[in-house]
Amino acid sequence: MRRVGHALAIAALAASAGLGVAACGSSSSDSSTTGGGSSAAGGKTGGSVRIGSTLPDAYDPVMLQTTQANEALQLVYTSLVTYKHATGTAGNDLIPGLAEAMPTVSDGGKTYTFKLRPNLKYSDGTPIKASDFENTQKRLHTLGGPFSSFTNEIVGMAEYVKAKKPDGDITGITSNDQTGEITVKLTKPDTKFLFAIALVSGAPTPAAKSPISKAANDGSMPGAGPYTISIQNPTRQYTLTKNPTFNIPGIPAAKVDKFTVVKETVPKMTQDVINGKLDFMTEDPAGDDLPLVRAKYSNRFRLAANPPNTYWFYMNETTKPFDKLEARQAVNYAIDSRALGRIFGGRLQPTCNFLPPGYAGNGYEKIDPCPYGDPNGPGDIAKAKALVQQSGYAGMQVTVWGNNKDPRPAIVDYLRDLLNQIGFKAKTKILDQQVYFGTVGLAKTKAQIGFTDWFSDFPHPADFFEPNASKASLASSPTSNLQFSSNPAVDAALAKLNPQDPKSVAAEWAKVDKAMIDNADVAVYGNELSTNFFSERMDVDNCNGIGPVYKTDWLQFCLK
Amino acid sequence: MAVEPATELTFGDPGVLAGEDPRDRVAGLGPWRLALRRLRRNKIALAFAALFVLIVLVCLAAPLYADHIAHTDPFKNHLTDQIKINGKLTDVVAPDGVPIGPTWQGRFLLGADGNGRDIAVRLLYGGRTSLLIGAGAAIGTVLLSILFGTLAGFFRGWADTVISRSLDILWAFPPLLLGLALGTALALGGLKIGPISIAGDSKLIPILIIAIVQVPYMARPLRGQVLGLREKEFVEAARAQGAGPLQIMFSEILPNLVSTIVVFFPLMVVNAIGLEAALSFLGAGVRAPNPSWGTILGEGIQRIVTAPHQTIVPGLMLVLTVLSLNVFGDGVRDAFDPRAKVRAR
Repeated sequence: MRRVGHALAIAALAASAGLGVAACGSSSSDSSTTGGGSSAAGGKTGGSVRIGSTLPDAYDPVMLQTTQANEALQLVYTSLVTYKHATGTAGNDLIPGLAEAMPTVSDGGKTYTFKLRPNLKYSDGTPIKASDFENTQKRLHTLGGPFSSFTNEIVGMAEYVKAKKPDGDITGITSNDQTGEITVKLTKPDTKFLFAIALVSGAPTPAAKSPISKAANDGSMPGAGPYTISIQNPTRQYTLTKNPTFNIPGIPAAKVDKFTVVKETVPKMTQDVINGKLDFMTEDPAGDDLPLVRAKYSNRFRLAANPPNTYWFYMNETTKPFDKLEARQAVNYAIDSRALGRIFGGRLQPTCNFLPPGYAGNGYEKIDPCPYGDPNGPGDIAKAKALVQQSGYAGMQVTVWGNNKDPRPAIVDYLRDLLNQIGFKAKTKILDQQVYFGTVGLAKTKAQIGFTDWFSDFPHPADFFEPNASKASLASSPTSNLQFSSNPAVDAALAKLNPQDPKSVAAEWAKVDKAMIDNADVAVYGNELSTNFFSERMDVDNCNGIGPVYKTDWLQFCLK
Repeated sequence: MAVEPATELTFGDPGVLAGEDPRDRVAGLGPWRLALRRLRRNKIALAFAALFVLIVLVCLAAPLYADHIAHTDPFKNHLTDQIKINGKLTDVVAPDGVPIGPTWQGRFLLGADGNGRDIAVRLLYGGRTSLLIGAGAAIGTVLLSILFGTLAGFFRGWADTVISRSLDILWAFPPLLLGLALGTALALGGLKIGPISIAGDSKLIPILIIAIVQVPYMARPLRGQVLGLREKEFVEAARAQGAGPLQIMFSEILPNLVSTIVVFFPLMVVNAIGLEAALSFLGAGVRAPNPSWGTILGEGIQRIVTAPHQTIVPGLMLVLTVLSLNVFGDGVRDAFDPRAKVRAR
C-alpha cells in the first residue's frame, strides 16, 4: 500500500498519480479536548484526540491506498480476518475479525472457508451478510482499487473483470447468508490471500449501501469497526467516533472517544503538536523541525521502521555495466550507509537484508556477516574500484535515475559521486515523482541504476519478492522489478513457499533474501525510520500504538 | 560634471528652444557617441555596471577558488568527512543530517549543504550557470524578437496576423507557469527536432525555454517600431531605388532598431536570470546536481532556520546581479532616450 505504486497493481500506478496530496492550512479552532477515566494499562480511557494529517487519498475502503488512509480507516472497516492490534512484530499476526475463527483451508490450500460470527451488525445497524464479502470484491475489481490485484487469484475473477458486468458472478466465491458461510476458491494455493483480505480494502460493507460501480468518498458506507467516520470536508477534516455497539472478541475496545483529523501543512502541524493544539501528526517533521523535535521533545518522540520498508539502488541486469556481477558487487562494496543516514536526517537504519527487520519471524534473519562488509561501517572503495576494473567497464557512462521528492535528489547525487569514485562516469537524471516509477519501470527506458524503495503492504515475504524481484513481475509494464531479471532462487521460492504459512517457512524465505544479496541483485542500504510525534497529553510510553502494518494503530492510543 | 566646450555647441537650433540640453546637441557626433557621452555622466549606472562586472569576474574565477582554496569541486560529496576548525575535528555533516555552517576559512567558507558540498564553491559555479543562462536566453530572445518583430511589422497582412496572434497566445500564459510546464515536459526526453537533439539535463533547455517565453515582451515593441519605420521617406527612397524587402530590412530598418535593442538587452538578461532562478528553485530549470543560484536556494530552503546562509547568500547574489543590471539598464535607456536625459543627469 505504502509506496505510491505497486507492481502487481498496474492500476495503482495510474491511481497514484493523484496521491501527492498537497498540504495547506487548516483551521485549528476546535481544540476542545476532554479527559477520561483511568484504564488498567496506565492510560486513560475516553477523551478526544486531535490529529494533523495530509488526509486520506480516498475514503472508500476499496479505493484508498496511502498510509494516512489505511491508518485511520482500519478503525472503521473490519475484515473477515484482521491484524492483531499489538505493537512490535506481534502486530503481524492475523486474528479472526468478522469471521468467528481463522478459515478452514482445504483442497491443497486452494479453498478457504470462513464463517461469520452470529448476529453481527454494521455501525448503522444493518446486519452483516456473507454475500457482502463478494460485493466488496466486485467493487474492488470493478472500480479498479489499488489493491485489487491481491485477489486476482480467486477463481472466476479474471472472467468477472473481463465481462465488465458489475452484477455478474465471481464463480470462486460462494456465500450463504443464512449460515454466514463464505467459501473462496483460488486458482493456486497462495497464503498471501489471507494477508491481503485482512487489509481495509478487503473489509465487507453492506451491499445495499455500497454500489458496485460507484466509489463512495463521503463516508456514507458503514463498516463494522470500533469507530464510525463522519466527514466534515473531505479535503479538510473528518472525525472518528467510538462505535458503542462494536464488540468483537480479540479486538480491543477503543480507548479514545473521538479522533478529529485535520489537514495541515507539515510545519504547521509540527508547531501545533509542540504547542499541544494537535496530539499527533501522521507526517514526519520536515527540514529544520526534525532535529529540533528530536532534541527538545525526545520524551514524546519515537522513531520506528514502520511500516516495514527497504531502500535500495536497483541495477538493471540487462544493460551494461550492471549485467556483470562484479559491477553490481562494486556498488554494494562502495556504499556507505552512514553517509546515506545523514541524508535521511539520521532516520536510516543500515541493513544488509532485502527483507526489513519488521518481518522478523516472517522471513527476516539478519545477514551476518554481510558479504560486503559491516553495513554500519564505511564503504570499501578500494575493493569496489578493483571490481569495476575487473568488470571491464571502468570509465563507462552511467546514468543514475531518481525523482524529485525530498531527499531523493540528494540520495541520487550521493550515488553519482560514489560511482565516479569507483571508476564510472556518472550523471544523474531526476524526474518528477509522479512519473518516475512509471518511466524507469519500462524496459525501453533502460534505466541503468537508480533509487527505489518498498513499503510493506502486508507482512508476507512475497509482498517484497514478487513485485520487486520475480519473473512474474516482468510481465507487467511498467514493472517494479527494476533489475529486469529474476534470481532463480526467488522464483523457485515463490512457487514453493507461497502456499505455506510464512512463519512455518521463515528460514527458507531468509535463504532467498541471502541469495539476492549474494548475487548483488540489489544494492540495499537501509530501512527508513518514520517519526511519531505526540503531544504532552498523550501517554506515549503505554499507548503509542507503533505497529508493523499500519505505522500507528490509533486503537491503542490513550491519554495520560 | 564637466562643462562641454562652447565651440561644440550648436546655437540657434530649434532643439534649444524645445528645452533640450544644448550640451547634447553636439555638432559632428552620432547618436552612439552621444549616448555614450550621456552614459559616462551617469555615475550611478557606471558604478552598478562595475559591480556587475565584478560579479562576473568572481564567478569566472570559480575553478581557481575551487582548486586552490577550497580543494574540492562543486559536485563532490563530503558526507562523512571531517575538517579541522580551531584545531578541532568537526563533521562536515552531522549524523542527524545538519551540515556545517560558515567556517570563515578556505574550506567550507560558507558551510556545506545537505550532501556535504562546499556552498561557496557551488555559489561561484552556480553564478556562472545563472549568468550563462541569463545572457544566453537574452540573446535568444533578442534574435527571435528581431526576426518576428521585423517580419510582422514590415510585411503586415497575414504574416503580421499569424505572428501577432501567436505572440498574443504566448503572452496570455504567465511566463513562470509556461516555463514550468515546458521545463517539466522537456526534462524527461529532452528536445528532438529533426537532427537537433538536446538532452533533458542540458543547460540549453532552460536557455531555450526562457528565450521563448520572453519573446512577446520584446517582439511587440519592435514590431510597432518597424510599422512606423517602413513608412519613412528613407525606406520609400530605398524601395524606389529597387531594393528588395530583405535588403530594406537589413540595411534600412535594422540599423534603426539597434538603440531599442541595446536598451532592451540588459533588461532581458535581468528577466532571464530571475526566471531561471525561479524555475530552478521549482525544479524545472537547471537540473541537479548542476548548481545555479536558483537550485542552491531550493536546496537551502528546508534549512532556513538552522542554516539560513544557504538561502541568504545565493539570494543576495541574485539581488546584487539583478539590481546592478537593472540600474545599468536604466542608465543605458536614459542615454539612448533624449526625453529621459534630464533624469539621467
